[in-house]
Amino acid sequence: MSADAQPSEVVLNKTLLTGACGAIIHDIDLAKGVDAALFDAIDQALLDHGVIFFRDQALTRKQHKAFGKLFGELHYHPAAPGPKEHPEILIIHADEKSTFSAGQGWHSDVSCDAEPPMGSILRLETVPDTGGDTLFSNMYAAYEALSDRMKNLLAGMSAIHSGKHVYRWRYKVEADKMVREYPESEHPIVRTHPVTKKPALYVNAGFTTHIVGMKPKESKAILEHLYQHIAQPDFQCRFKWEPHSMAFWDNRCMQHHAVFDYWPQVRHGERVTVAGDKPFYDDAA
Amino acid sequence: MSEPAKNVASNLQYDLLTPHSGAEVHQIDLSANVSQDVIEQIESLLVTYGVVFFRDQQLTREQHRNLGARFGQLHIHPAAPAPEDYPEIIVIHADNKRKGVAGTGWHSDVSCDAQPPAASMLYMKNMPAVGGDTLFSNMYAAYDALSDSLKSYLEGLTAIHSGADVYRGGSYKNEAQGGRMPVSEHPVIRTHPVSKRKALFVNYGFTRQLVGLPQRESDNMLRFLFDHVNDPHFQVRFAWQPGSIAFWDNRCVQHYPTDDYFPATRTAERVTLSGDTPYFEEA
Repeated sequence: MSADAQPSEVVLNKTLLTGACGAIIHDIDLAKGVDAALFDAIDQALLDHGVIFFRDQALTRKQHKAFGKLFGELHYHPAAPGPKEHPEILIIHADEKSTFSAGQGWHSDVSCDAEPPMGSILRLETVPDTGGDTLFSNMYAAYEALSDRMKNLLAGMSAIHSGKHVYRWRYKVEADKMVREYPESEHPIVRTHPVTKKPALYVNAGFTTHIVGMKPKESKAILEHLYQHIAQPDFQCRFKWEPHSMAFWDNRCMQHHAVFDYWPQVRHGERVTVAGDKPFYDDAA
Repeated sequence: MSEPAKNVASNLQYDLLTPHSGAEVHQIDLSANVSQDVIEQIESLLVTYGVVFFRDQQLTREQHRNLGARFGQLHIHPAAPAPEDYPEIIVIHADNKRKGVAGTGWHSDVSCDAQPPAASMLYMKNMPAVGGDTLFSNMYAAYDALSDSLKSYLEGLTAIHSGADVYRGGSYKNEAQGGRMPVSEHPVIRTHPVSKRKALFVNYGFTRQLVGLPQRESDNMLRFLFDHVNDPHFQVRFAWQPGSIAFWDNRCVQHYPTDDYFPATRTAERVTLSGDTPYFEEA
């Protein structure tokens, strides 16, 4: 091969989960590293399917972080710093003492940040015998399924996303860390994906509190409608975890919901989160 | 609290696909003569987990009909298209000419009837490679998850179920009601006649009104309950293959066929078991 040869294109062996989103990628051992051609193929699969899954990835923390760094800077969770040496890692754990589990209800990760994460890479080590599935919903499809009248209403509007009600009691953060750890941000309701340029619905039941410029009752009614709209199975896939399964989702065009139906069993894993940019809406796109 | 995923009850082997909904039975050939013991075990799974799945079955129409008849009286749909010589079989077909999929949205089959079907057994003949999953939501679990206060509020209430919106266009008229669209009043919380457990029995597809409540209260309460049914905690999502069978209990489960495969073709055949008049019994 000459020095200037293009890397040969990698064709991934994929199984699509549904017609709406989600692909399982087979025959890859991420512990062996990812070259430029494989990176391009995985990056494209993420853009095409919104969420991609890998089975049997027994990665170390270092390998998990290295994979995440291929896609951008790693994000530090505002309210849940990771273990020593690995502050970028978010531990996901539920057991017989749990009264809730992280990620219940439809949401996009940390959308209360001014620059919310682009993507999240979750790897589970311990999973219950049955239960603990994660659902994903495609926000391009949710946007497209709105009426033209509703699309016009929402175009260019923005909403407030707050972490206060989500993180305050959960992580028992001290009051003087309020500003840093309970961020609040204003984001467009219809978001232009920075890479695909497609419009995606960007309000979520976890973080969005109200629509800017609407009366409170109007805002409540519209958001209620949008949350129910997002929860329709036609936009979704449902993923059943195995030990060492890994999911990588694009927070810019997907929401997810982690089902907590397995108490008192243990579900344990770690997440690496890739930093993102400031959401924008481009009506010319 | 949690059930083990692998279970062996004499000779019936199955996995629970989620803790509340969906048991997938393995290593069974339903075209063979199935023993009465196995039929009873399947029925026990059905009334507990709401839906039982089988893979890789090869049934003739006669075998499909006869298998259904092992579980009870078969229901003959008054209007749905049936193949010649098999009035008990409903053909469910979607292709590129459709506008919407039959039964879209969460529902319990034909709950507008005075005696809605007890159970439905759908046999998949032809599927797109991807898409066309069906979701099932367990209505015992939906009931159990309500607060005690709301349970008390709902118990003893009844609701109007109407086929008018669903069957507009005249595909289904009930002769017994003088050719009008069927409308029935059923308890909101229903006692399952076999398991005796309480199940939520209002559904987005057919339920229109809570009887005796002001309109706004009825509207808002139903909206809440429809949303509650759609909680993934109670659900399983089943990906079909040709030869898959889902056997669900309309008395304790609702289902939702996804419409994410247009314009691909999906063809299935269903036999339906007759049911009784829904009732509520203070346990």
